[in-house]
Amino acid sequence: MTLREAATLRLLCTLGAVLLAGAVQAADAPAWMHALVGVSVPPHDDKTNAIQLYSEVQLTVQPNGKIVRLERYAYLILRPDGESWGIVRQDFDDQSRITDMHAWCIPASGKDYMVKDRDAVEAALPGVENGFLMTDMRSRLIRIPETIPGSIIGYEVVQEQRPYLEDADWRLQESVPVRETHYTLQLPPGWDYKAIWINHPEIAPAASGPGRWTWVASNLPAIRIESNMPPWQGIAARMVVALIPPKGATPALLSWNDIGVWHRGLVGDRDAASAEIRQQVSSLVPAGTSNLAAMHALTAFVQKEIRYVAIELGIGGWQPHPAAETFKHRYGDCKDKATLLRAMLHEVGVSSYFVIINTVRGSVTMDTPPNLGFNHVILAIHLPPGMTAAEFKATVLHPKLGTLLFFDPTDDLTPLGGLSGGLQTNTALLVTPDGGELITLPQLAGDTSSQKRTGTLALDDKGTLSGEVREVSVGDPAALQRYSLRNVAGDADRIKPVEERVADSLTDFRILKASVVNLAAPDLPFEWHYTLEAEHYAKFAGDLMLVRPRVLGSESSGLLETREPRENPIEFAGPRLDSDSFDIALPAGYEVDELPPPVDVDIKFAAYHSSTRATGRSLHFSRTLEIKQLSVPVSKAGELKEFYRTIWDDERRTAVLRPIAH
Amino acid sequence: MSARVAGRALVAWFAAAFGAQCLAADWEPITPEELHMTSEPAAPKVPAVYLYRQVDRDDTDGRESVYVRIKILTEEGRKYADVEIEYNKNNETIRSIQARAIKPDGSIVDFKGEIYDKTLVKGRGVRYVAKTFTIPDVQVGSILEYRYWRETDVNVIYNSNWILSADLYTKHAKFSLTPYKEFSIQWSWPYGLPTGTGNPVQKHGDIELETHDVPAFVAEDYMPPENLLKYRVEFVYQDPYNDEKDTAAYWKQFGKRRFRDINDFANSRRAMEEAVTQIVAPGDTPETKLRKIYGRVQQIRNVSFERQKTEEEEKREHLRSISDVGDVWKRGYGTGEQITWLMLALARAAGLQADPIEVATRDVYFFSKELRNGNQLNTNVVLVNLDGKDIYLDPGAAYTPFGVLPWSETAVQGLRFNKDGGEWVTTPLPSPADSRVACDGKLQLSTQGTLEGKLSITFSGLEALNLRLEERHEDAADRKLYLEQEVEALVPMGIEVHLTNTPDWDSSAPTLVAEYDLKVPGWTVGAGHRLLAPAALLGASDIHIFDHPDRLYPIYFHFPHEQDDYIKVSLPKGLSIGSLPKPESADLKVLTYERTVSSDGNELLLKRHLTVGSVIVQAKYYDQVRKFFQTVRTSDEQQIVLAPAAAAGKN
Repeated sequence: MTLREAATLRLLCTLGAVLLAGAVQAADAPAWMHALVGVSVPPHDDKTNAIQLYSEVQLTVQPNGKIVRLERYAYLILRPDGESWGIVRQDFDDQSRITDMHAWCIPASGKDYMVKDRDAVEAALPGVENGFLMTDMRSRLIRIPETIPGSIIGYEVVQEQRPYLEDADWRLQESVPVRETHYTLQLPPGWDYKAIWINHPEIAPAASGPGRWTWVASNLPAIRIESNMPPWQGIAARMVVALIPPKGATPALLSWNDIGVWHRGLVGDRDAASAEIRQQVSSLVPAGTSNLAAMHALTAFVQKEIRYVAIELGIGGWQPHPAAETFKHRYGDCKDKATLLRAMLHEVGVSSYFVIINTVRGSVTMDTPPNLGFNHVILAIHLPPGMTAAEFKATVLHPKLGTLLFFDPTDDLTPLGGLSGGLQTNTALLVTPDGGELITLPQLAGDTSSQKRTGTLALDDKGTLSGEVREVSVGDPAALQRYSLRNVAGDADRIKPVEERVADSLTDFRILKASVVNLAAPDLPFEWHYTLEAEHYAKFAGDLMLVRPRVLGSESSGLLETREPRENPIEFAGPRLDSDSFDIALPAGYEVDELPPPVDVDIKFAAYHSSTRATGRSLHFSRTLEIKQLSVPVSKAGELKEFYRTIWDDERRTAVLRPIAH
Repeated sequence: MSARVAGRALVAWFAAAFGAQCLAADWEPITPEELHMTSEPAAPKVPAVYLYRQVDRDDTDGRESVYVRIKILTEEGRKYADVEIEYNKNNETIRSIQARAIKPDGSIVDFKGEIYDKTLVKGRGVRYVAKTFTIPDVQVGSILEYRYWRETDVNVIYNSNWILSADLYTKHAKFSLTPYKEFSIQWSWPYGLPTGTGNPVQKHGDIELETHDVPAFVAEDYMPPENLLKYRVEFVYQDPYNDEKDTAAYWKQFGKRRFRDINDFANSRRAMEEAVTQIVAPGDTPETKLRKIYGRVQQIRNVSFERQKTEEEEKREHLRSISDVGDVWKRGYGTGEQITWLMLALARAAGLQADPIEVATRDVYFFSKELRNGNQLNTNVVLVNLDGKDIYLDPGAAYTPFGVLPWSETAVQGLRFNKDGGEWVTTPLPSPADSRVACDGKLQLSTQGTLEGKLSITFSGLEALNLRLEERHEDAADRKLYLEQEVEALVPMGIEVHLTNTPDWDSSAPTLVAEYDLKVPGWTVGAGHRLLAPAALLGASDIHIFDHPDRLYPIYFHFPHEQDDYIKVSLPKGLSIGSLPKPESADLKVLTYERTVSSDGNELLLKRHLTVGSVIVQAKYYDQVRKFFQTVRTSDEQQIVLAPAAAAGKN
């Protein structure tokens, strides 16, 4: 545990103790909760830890435009694990104050409990990990007593809404089954709304009074949390309500174009270059520098020299700091870095556009109705005349704007021309001078994100394998390895990632020598060169020697070896093309008796090929694994599972050597 | 079990009002070497190092000044420009924060930015906050400096420490403490001091230490408690009721007081004698009596092991305070500590020789007598002598079988109290056989290479206890999953395992038995016309143990234990044994391993035995330990060769 973790743990312990110490009172739970006692519940299995019996959201727009949201939730606890539902957390900031928060418990026997607003605890995440220095976002927490099987727990929160976000959403599904959920919208005269449905068929509202509409849904299944599943926003049922103020008031964000215009307004002239920025550009890009060299120099400057630090207060979550300020401080968050780079590129005559994106692919798709489901900002750089897309990989041809090159100024491990896997085939909002539009970022070829391992090895007659291995990584695998070495405290720890990888494949080994190449040069391949010795690598069976040609590396996965059938699509981090090639010199006195058969599997979204050959006095093993499609539908999960099992079998296959007959 | 009030750790007194103070006007001078350094040879390639740290604490007026100077060596090291200083707003203040960056060219940029106040936890009278800021314009090669005062504004003095091993390599550091004069204080450095560092010295009433070249602390697998391994100096104010300077005298006085307190609590003679008559029969042997009492005492509701409850839930239960063991017996509930003292009282009432002991558990710290801190004795056991044989009992530790202590209470020092104070004892360390995982399988191999059949695992001793403690608040579905995952951890990949019995989760029985249906697809793998299978089925959990060739700290196993596998595999018709791997063994005394594969007709018998016989293995033996586990893995991977019946015998 690090010192920071220890401090965090101490604070969390404090938080836990304070929550337990609440002066809860004996008071009746409200009628809406008591009405739930004894109701029938939706079908569920014995692993379901709770059921959402009832939820209700009431969004009220007051005549002065102030928006207030009331939420009520109630759960029946089924298992001890359901205890986590008894910790209620509501996030807020200075512009979305919580005005009331109550919680109750109706135990299976005995009197009800009530937890009042004043018993709530306010908390924020300690530490400044990953540069997230300051935000006014905090959480209010309540712990509900006796959250044990048989209890019905519930809570009610009243919260003001941020004035600049005139939309609201109704999240219908949870990780537990939902019995019944309501949403009520109350608008003053002159206001209107537009409801958009995501991952659920449209439900018609019932008008329940003047300017009042109510939607009801029931018996919604739980969403199971699975590894490598799409983001929650990409699969859970949701209704987004865009509020339309009377004419003359602030326009609503009804379209992606509206959101683009809104964002452009937030930037305003913050992307203007100051004298100091111009001076820096001049020093980085002397007269006569080519456009390509200028782009490399400026993008590298912002990636490396501007430290990632996020200070997000109020609208600061969306609005960047002025480029001049970011440049002066030499720090900023993603939107600050994008804004500064845009200003610097402008100084050399290169135009660029903000691209607002969610780093989790699938959070926003081309079918998603307009909403603010983004968490990151990058740039689309308009390739200047004379440059072609062939010089870069991460480009798309825009029908109006021409060739756009995507670049992430925050990701200092992915240089100009590359794009991390999470951003590929991702849908983003391109902000242009005219507004905004959704675009799809490109998928790069597999060889842009790959690990190529080659080994030149020799086996002796005692079964010891020794030789040299070279691993060359580009793209995401290279970024990952560079990242893992960033915080290494000493030389001994530097080699640990290699030792751990080798230990996956060899039981008794020594790394005799190892070196890293291009650690600090992200625009070049990352390489490990090492020399190893593995005793008892070959096994003996009678006079036969058993040798596994696949010496190192595992491309199989236990991802789909689960107890329950897969329910969600499988998302890969990015495209991938890995290869292994091992040459093993045979020991004197032995020759090949039998070799493993080749494997060739191509299942459209992935392919695996391996072969083992005997060439002279050597065994030669080679294989490739390619991930071609980043999202695999759940209907293909069985095929993918078999694919991984085939690789698993292949990785264990053995060549048989026999003594040379004399 | 003891939950004695931590109040002994605090000594309260009314202090004079604090005076205002300010930081010294000048920063420490920066040397040309510091300015121009690009790496630290003793810590190559690290992102940053502490050039200098200084902490001066003054317990007479509750002030502490902190000074930090960091050299940034890589781009990643720039993150140290982000600073967060946490404090308790109810009794602390952070004042006079100053910071600056010195660029590689020597130019100085004073920090004039905003310092944010961040609320970390607020509510019910608690307010933890942080001062947060970031130093701008930091480059590789920059030196960062910041300093501040921490003031404590309540009338309490706390025990404190100097942590010398930090998250970064420290080139130079100074520490000082001005102790509060009204109480005596002692200090110690349980893990020693960095090479070349002199012992703390007393100067004009202050305690001071200067150190150089302290490596960063790095965590390792299977290491003793982290707090034990960091270079640190611990300061403990003496209990105002026991300020003996001599170690033996301190513990004598401590023991006398605890003996009185415990006897007062366990002194309900008539009630205990009546209780004993309900538990034991007149003709019972002493051991039978003891076992019956132990079993009965464990039926008392043990509130220390119940689900954590809110204050209101506890209030509604109307649990009355317990004054003595009579109350525990009468009301039928108590804490773990109270239940163990009830055991003491009942054993005595049954005519057995029983003594109270308080021991120091070894899960967080290792005990040091020289610290003269009675709080280290943090849990209680009862020692009963039966016919000359000592039996240690802790019925207050739920689910603990008779004669067994929880692992953290084994092989630790404790004070066996008597009217003269007491004597030091060491609790026994159980043998590996006392904590055993025995796997017994009867499986059938199919022609497709799938292994399928029954597996039974018997967890005994501390292995059974740990399972019960881990799952004590869970339901049947969770416990089933937990036990199935235990098997999944033993077999490499892709198995199907289903628990078929209902294990005894709720008793203190010495064993817990789990029975399974097991299916292992692809247990064999093809090699031309042959099939190969590994010599061990259940060794996957040892795969990544001790991967790395280097070791700084001792290896720490919580308790001795062993695993025994006895797996029978019936071969399908048409498949015969080509060859079997030779038996293998390894013996380091504290670690032993044996593995054999034999056959009986068309049946394979896979036997494997792994013993961990010690708790601590010094780092100097690491190479041998690592080699031992490499041998285990290699041996587990030896291959059984199976072949079509006609080809058998030809390999």
